Amino acid sequence: MLLSIEPDGPVPIYQQIRDRIVEAIASGSQLAGSVLPSTRQLAVDLGVNFHTVNKSYDLLRQEGLLRLSRKSGAVVRRDAASGPPDPGWAQEWAVRLRTMLAEATAQGMTEPDVIAACRAALASFSVPEGE
Amino acid sequence: MTAAILISDVLIPFIGTLLLLTPAITRPTVQFGVRVPPERTGAPVLRDQRRAYYRRAGAVVVCCTAAAVALAGHGSWWLPKIVLLAEVAAELGCFLRARRKIVAVKNAERWFAGLRQTVVADTSWRTDPPRFPVRWLVPALLVIAATAAVGAVRATGPRPVIGIVAGQAYVTALWTGLLLLFFRARPEVEASDPAGSVRRYRRFLGAFARAMLTLVALVDLTLLLSGLRAWHVFRPGGIGGDLPAVPFIVGLLVLAAVTVRAGQGGHRLPVATLGPARAPAAAVDRDDDRFWKGGVIYLNRDDPALMVGARVGAGFALNVGNPAAWLIIAVAVAGPAGLTLLLYGLAH
Repeated sequence: MLLSIEPDGPVPIYQQIRDRIVEAIASGSQLAGSVLPSTRQLAVDLGVNFHTVNKSYDLLRQEGLLRLSRKSGAVVRRDAASGPPDPGWAQEWAVRLRTMLAEATAQGMTEPDVIAACRAALASFSVPEGE
Repeated sequence: MTAAILISDVLIPFIGTLLLLTPAITRPTVQFGVRVPPERTGAPVLRDQRRAYYRRAGAVVVCCTAAAVALAGHGSWWLPKIVLLAEVAAELGCFLRARRKIVAVKNAERWFAGLRQTVVADTSWRTDPPRFPVRWLVPALLVIAATAAVGAVRATGPRPVIGIVAGQAYVTALWTGLLLLFFRARPEVEASDPAGSVRRYRRFLGAFARAMLTLVALVDLTLLLSGLRAWHVFRPGGIGGDLPAVPFIVGLLVLAAVTVRAGQGGHRLPVATLGPARAPAAAVDRDDDRFWKGGVIYLNRDDPALMVGARVGAGFALNVGNPAAWLIIAVAVAGPAGLTLLLYGLAH
């Protein structure tokens, strides 16, 4: 997995690392059971503080996407083929989606444009339409 | 071959030429240690300063080599060393002059304005790390063992044997340790071609480590041959007196050939493309000039890395903002001092 961040960008680095890993899982480049580098190794490779990577991994663990253990390190816990999300997750996601859609609507995007953008994003993760 | 002749005949032209070739070895995006976006690598200032550097540094190499040859046998033992120092200082001056001009144009024209500056990591580097070429360490260890065995039989006392074997062990251990750290360091991933650059870097790292371990074995062999001469196993006569230096020179030439062939981080190596890179095409490498002092010394206290790829030429650089780097520097310096004290102690 190639993990790209913008250290001087407006989005916090821990959030960028978390987002890139989620995208990698969605696109299938990281499947359930895949091992990620240790927090120290990834911190060295990105040239960021080790606590920053720790924060990203912890966030992913709370979201149910990573399993962290001393023995096996950071392992991807689930992917698109692992079945439906955990109970309650979809409702929480719908709240964030509503905010995203509100941003698009406030900026003047039409419904077809929003749906087309959503389809394009899903297509980039190779998720078949209708699923 | 005496140390003075070795320096004047070999090291002055060799080091001078290697410094002269650094722009050719260094990536087009970090010429003279200045990070530039890929679309600016053909900028007139870069082309002009590269030419000016070749012209000036070339003149320095020719003058210093001529001076060393002319002075050979006429001065003190330290004279070639002064010429070598002057050569390195003059070439550094040429380098800094070119660098200053490029930085001025880069800043005035704001080359990175509006560009997405990224840092890319390849997680497969950690989950499938490159293997250290352990077998290439065997020749050096065999030479050390041979030195100890021959020395035990032929040397008149323990002092010369311990001195030479300790010197060999120091060189071998220091460079093996540094190379092991280099294997654990982060690879140089280019935002414009992340997948290709990582594959080239893997090949570069293997080739560089093998060339360095070859050089280490040949340095050990040079020390062994010096020992054999000191223990009168062979008597130097005429050109035979130069024999101990030959392996060292061969090792330097091998390392130089590999470095020039592969280029910095392997950027000169041909690697077949595997398909489109996953990183966004508009992204460029982050402008990290502020962390490179003089374009050669890496100082970044916020970076946990201990070692990074060299900014100029091929090889590695320590992050002097990391306290562990100073520990390595201390060990590297303390080694020869400790050896000297050991020999002094044995002699008295």
